[in-house]
Amino acid sequence: MKKLLITIFIFPAIFFIMPSCNKKLEVLPQNSLTPDQIKTSSDVEAVLFGGYETLQNYGAFGEQFILVPDLLAADSQVNWVGTYPEYKDIEFKRAISTNYVAGTIWANAYKAIDIANTVIDKINIVDTADQATIQGEALFIRGTVYFELVGIYGKPYSDGNAATNLGVPLVLLPTYAYDSVKNKPARASVADIYKQIISDLTTAVSKLPSSNANFRADVYSAKAILSRVYLNMQDYVNAATQANDVINSGNFSLNPSYDKAFNNNANSSEDIFAIQQTTQSNAGTSNQGIVTFYAPQPLGRGDAQIDDGYFTFFDSLDFRGKFVTAGTSISGFDGNYPNKWSQFYKTIPVVRLAEMYLTRGEANLLSNGNIGSVAPIDDINIVRKRANAIAFTSAPTSADFVDERFRELGFEGDRVWTLKRLKLNVDGYNYDDGKLILPIPQTEIDVNKNLVQNDGY
Amino acid sequence: MRKLLLCIGLSLCTFVFAFAQTIDLSGKITDAKDNSPLSGVTITSKGSKAHAITGTDGSFTIKINSKAKSLHISYIGYDEKDVVVGTESTINISLQASQKALNEVVVVGYGKALKKDITGSISNLAAKDVENFPEPSFESAIQGKAPGVVVSSGSGKLGQAIQINIRGISSISASSQPLYVVDGLPITTASMSDGTNDNTNPVADINPDDIESVQILKDASAAAIYGARAANGVVLITTKKGKAGQKTIVELNTSHGVSNPARKIHFLNAKQYVGLIEQSAINDGTYDFNNGITGYGSLSDAVTDFQTNVYEPVLDQFSLGTDWRNGAVNTNWQNALFEKNAPNNQVNVSVTGGSDKTRFFISGFYNTQDAIVINNKFSRYGTRFNIDHNVSDKLVFGLNLAVDRSQLNRITNDDAFSTPGQLVAQLPISPLIDPSTGLPNKQTLYPSGIYDALYDFDHQVTFRTIGNAYANLKILPSLSFQSEIGADILNLNENEFEGKESQDGGGVGRGSTVISQSVSLNTNNYFTFTPRINDDSKLNVVAGMSYLQNDYQHTFGQGEQYPSDAVKNLSGATSITGASTTNSRYTFLSYFLRASYTFHDKYLISASDRIDGSSRFGPQSRYGNFPAASLGWILSEENFLKDSRALSFLKLRVSYGLTGNSEIGEQQFRSLYSVANYPNLPGFTPTQLANPDLKWEKSKQTDIGLDYGFLKNRITGEIDYYKKHSTDLLLNTNIPLTTGYASIYQNLGSMDNSGYEFSITSRNLDGGFKWTTSFNIAYNKNKVGNIQGQIIQSADALLRAQQGSPIGSFYMQKFLGVDPQTGDALYADPTGKPTNDYESAGRFIVGKYTPDFTGGFTNSFAWKGFDLSVFFYFVTGNKVYNAAGRFMDDGFYNGFDNQMTEELNSWKNPGDKTNVPRAGYYYGSGASNSTRWLYKGDYLRLKNLTLGYNIPKSVTSSLKISSARFYVSGVNLLTFTKYPGDPEVNTNVVSNIAGGEDFYTIPQAKTFTVGLNVKF
Repeated sequence: MKKLLITIFIFPAIFFIMPSCNKKLEVLPQNSLTPDQIKTSSDVEAVLFGGYETLQNYGAFGEQFILVPDLLAADSQVNWVGTYPEYKDIEFKRAISTNYVAGTIWANAYKAIDIANTVIDKINIVDTADQATIQGEALFIRGTVYFELVGIYGKPYSDGNAATNLGVPLVLLPTYAYDSVKNKPARASVADIYKQIISDLTTAVSKLPSSNANFRADVYSAKAILSRVYLNMQDYVNAATQANDVINSGNFSLNPSYDKAFNNNANSSEDIFAIQQTTQSNAGTSNQGIVTFYAPQPLGRGDAQIDDGYFTFFDSLDFRGKFVTAGTSISGFDGNYPNKWSQFYKTIPVVRLAEMYLTRGEANLLSNGNIGSVAPIDDINIVRKRANAIAFTSAPTSADFVDERFRELGFEGDRVWTLKRLKLNVDGYNYDDGKLILPIPQTEIDVNKNLVQNDGY
Repeated sequence: MRKLLLCIGLSLCTFVFAFAQTIDLSGKITDAKDNSPLSGVTITSKGSKAHAITGTDGSFTIKINSKAKSLHISYIGYDEKDVVVGTESTINISLQASQKALNEVVVVGYGKALKKDITGSISNLAAKDVENFPEPSFESAIQGKAPGVVVSSGSGKLGQAIQINIRGISSISASSQPLYVVDGLPITTASMSDGTNDNTNPVADINPDDIESVQILKDASAAAIYGARAANGVVLITTKKGKAGQKTIVELNTSHGVSNPARKIHFLNAKQYVGLIEQSAINDGTYDFNNGITGYGSLSDAVTDFQTNVYEPVLDQFSLGTDWRNGAVNTNWQNALFEKNAPNNQVNVSVTGGSDKTRFFISGFYNTQDAIVINNKFSRYGTRFNIDHNVSDKLVFGLNLAVDRSQLNRITNDDAFSTPGQLVAQLPISPLIDPSTGLPNKQTLYPSGIYDALYDFDHQVTFRTIGNAYANLKILPSLSFQSEIGADILNLNENEFEGKESQDGGGVGRGSTVISQSVSLNTNNYFTFTPRINDDSKLNVVAGMSYLQNDYQHTFGQGEQYPSDAVKNLSGATSITGASTTNSRYTFLSYFLRASYTFHDKYLISASDRIDGSSRFGPQSRYGNFPAASLGWILSEENFLKDSRALSFLKLRVSYGLTGNSEIGEQQFRSLYSVANYPNLPGFTPTQLANPDLKWEKSKQTDIGLDYGFLKNRITGEIDYYKKHSTDLLLNTNIPLTTGYASIYQNLGSMDNSGYEFSITSRNLDGGFKWTTSFNIAYNKNKVGNIQGQIIQSADALLRAQQGSPIGSFYMQKFLGVDPQTGDALYADPTGKPTNDYESAGRFIVGKYTPDFTGGFTNSFAWKGFDLSVFFYFVTGNKVYNAAGRFMDDGFYNGFDNQMTEELNSWKNPGDKTNVPRAGYYYGSGASNSTRWLYKGDYLRLKNLTLGYNIPKSVTSSLKISSARFYVSGVNLLTFTKYPGDPEVNTNVVSNIAGGEDFYTIPQAKTFTVGLNVKF
């Protein structure tokens, strides 16, 4: 009887004691943090730094911002001999809307944009002394990424219909919670995206310091990208002006030899903005990353080989035409590979001083300008001389600048933009052909009915 | 709770109103077989409330009414007995262990029950079903033995994860794997090894020879006592125990076997390969010329150009200067990937016995096994110690403890060039050995897996301790309290090394180390209340709580730049490229209650409820409630059937209940930032967007079942129909990437599974020659419900979960054949019309990887000392996709890979009627994913054939052993299928959406084993 009573008491007791276990159900994450832990100025700064990682990602400058444009203008530049059919499809202009490369670029770019938007949204938390710089860097990231996006997914600005051509969705606010209505933006026009890019980068110019620690973006990073943006808009005066500002800053100088511009452990003297990499922080070494594809076996996969037509662009003395290595791809094909991307964990130049000379020269030539008081022939020869190439003795033409940009900036993702800007055919396609831009990722169209697919997909 | 109090009250009354006029009767109850005492036997007196239970020595004392005429003796697992009371005051009774399947004792959640009293759907498997099977993990052995339980091991690689689906797949994004409970302790079953390789199977740490029984809880009534973790069913594993008064038995099991691939795909030999190359040159040249692409002057110019400048250089390059024109080299690369007669050896020794007070089971085992593929081995040794000790009649302590070490030598996953599985892509004209170096040929089309096998390794060592201690206190004869505390400690060490010479080593050498630790702490505390109400009613109430806490830590380091291959661990890496530690914890706090009531031994009713709380959900929706109820009616006990000669048992069961699923990993309901590591700029990066309302995925299941027995139960079996409706699916839904995020978990959508299960066992002949036939078959139909237009697909986009179709449906272009005029592949456009333009072809749902029907068919024969068992397994209604078809059956369009012999039938000339499109590296056709490589996956397999011989007693007794059995056994001896390779493959093991894809996957093993079981 007594035992029974004890039992009757024990039983409910267990039920009452156990609610103290409820605390055991509140388990905090141990490998990440929750948004309410972002409270201080340095926390916001850390979010900004996360933005640099997205620029390093293989979906951005770590690979695809470079390799995809190279494949789009593959003639005389690159042959995809590798086993990833999605890259081969881009080279052959037969990509389909489920091509995962189109999805990777898009996903990473909007992550970068969300980070920038978050930093801009939380800028008031940042210590006053750092506010301008941090905001400027966030705007630099956003403007730069939108510029790449509008080029990859939208028709070129040069076709004259920028106001009606579809660009990409313009997202300027951070996402803190998912809203199934508000979070389905339509595509803004190419012109609107360009407007935002100019606004972001010019504001960045006004906020950024003239130099910044740890290779973070500074005022000249923003100006250099801005010169590209204006060049693409065929606004040659502004393009030349921005390029000239960078050249005249005195912060940068061409490396004595061309090879010194690549495979560096930190920015070289001519890097205006570059992606840093280390053994622990990089764009990928086995199935991703620019070096993985452009370096031959055994280091890389060697899927992307130099097209033989490339070599016809160079005079016999030009070092740049010899800055290559013979090797074998992972699928057993012998070929040549650019030495620009021959080592892992090195900096990836995003914009170099050499480009600024070529931009100023070409922009002056095309606008009959004299910004910087340097003749186009002198600008082009500065670049050629450094490469040991035979200097121009008579005034270069626009076509000379196109070729020179290729000689200097081959395998750096420049060629397709130059050709499209000047309405030149790309790999036999009209510069405005829908197949020269990537499809909006099919998964994105599937979840956002407000998006319209590009023609030709 | 109220019901419980009522019960306690009732039993209280029973004690108060006991009769005064009584006599004392005492005695002992023993097992009729070996006279060992039986403890816990219930003795009642007909027509009175008297009640006693035997102690550990089998003795009892009962006060009965002086007018009582008989005693009723009942004990789980034994035939009930009525004994007439005479004048004597001592009475000794022996009980016969029940032979009938229906009197089997079945382990249910937090208790045991007689099979005939069970109202839920449970598959029971015994030790004999899982022992002596030449696979590391017991799940392989139960394939085809439990209807509705689909076991897919995916490949002939050893140590791989095994997918088990009980009554279909009921989730899209959350796990669909069942909960495993070993002796009351939920164990860790998720792979913890290197995430870039295939999942491994922690269940392989359980020694199959230690298993006494496996119960698979299939319906809601049986499983809902495990609430939030039971939606995918529950697998209860009970290990062997000693019996009281049992003579000590030493048992030795040893076996040795050899394995070879069960089926191979046929590839071209050197001559055929060269022939196809030459044909491709003709095809490309002709196509180019006819379409004026290059502008050749003549057809022969075109063909010669392709021959000399495209195709033959490939042959020259890869034949390493050997005379490919005359078949100087004819390498069968497929043979190079298999280890011929891969051996396996097992030794298992156990000692079991017990006295009145203490029972024990001790075992030790050692086994090593080579996979049929090179470089893949599994070895394991360990020990188990199960002990139960009666402190007094009221208090029992016990411990089940297993410790083991297993080592898995792994190969890379199917997608890696370095996996031996991809050797089949190498050219038959490539020599195996490079004549210039005498070493394995490195100048192959793809990096040679043989080279990597020489220089690389991936060794994974697991230390596993699973222990559960319990105390059981009999507070009253009708009330006991069980408290259990257990731990599952899994330590995994994985060392990976890729030498400088190998392709994966990248010319610099690479290495990594993974140290994973998972520690689960679990406690169960529950009361079992079995009041005696009256002769006609039995009540069993279980109420209690459990708490589970799992801590996981994963440490990872990797480096490169090894000076040489001499130092193979991370200390040889001169550059560390990555290191990290991740930690996570989850907790479950649960309360449960179950009451089962039996009336007149024919009306059964059971109800249960479980409340689960988990750290996996936010404070708003942390708790879930999972009730279930069931009814049973033993019709054969009714008067109108009782005298039927044919029908010996018939029970109707109906159950309905709710179970849950929360297997989506940790912290999914929060927004999260992770650490970003850009050089010199330590930062945060957003990685996850919150859904604070996230809650349990729920499955409502109805089950109607019939248990039957005919002809004195010579024919027995079960029939079940079930319907499972899962809602609030934990769906990883895509959201627009423009948010900065790819997906969030939402409770969205539903899924239905319904099906039938049928099983029958017939003892056809029961005399000197015994013949038993068992057959089971199960059908399941799955349908994805409203998922609001979400497109959820596998990583390769070939399979989908699409509304209105079964999960895991293949979604691709339909291949319609070959245009006889051009050799172009034809596909169906969205309206179904043929087109040769792949891009304008539509994509369709064209089948699924999950089967409609699965089942097993066993015939067992015994005559004198011989026994023979023949077991067939079959699946139908599923499709298998050869995802490597676009490389091995593409007519060189995607590369110069060796081709399947099917390519010999490829289109050559206008008018050719064939199903294989035009070959050609430039202008071939049909090389993109389509139903061209989708096959019927139906197969019938002679899964196991075992012939045993029991050495006669006369011989064994002279050898001083009590019994000895010698056997030979074969696994996967015959396969009937339309698939050109092994149909039992899946490169994506353990995924709900992806399955049935063969991508250079290693086929299943065909194994011959000889073994010996000896008892001393």
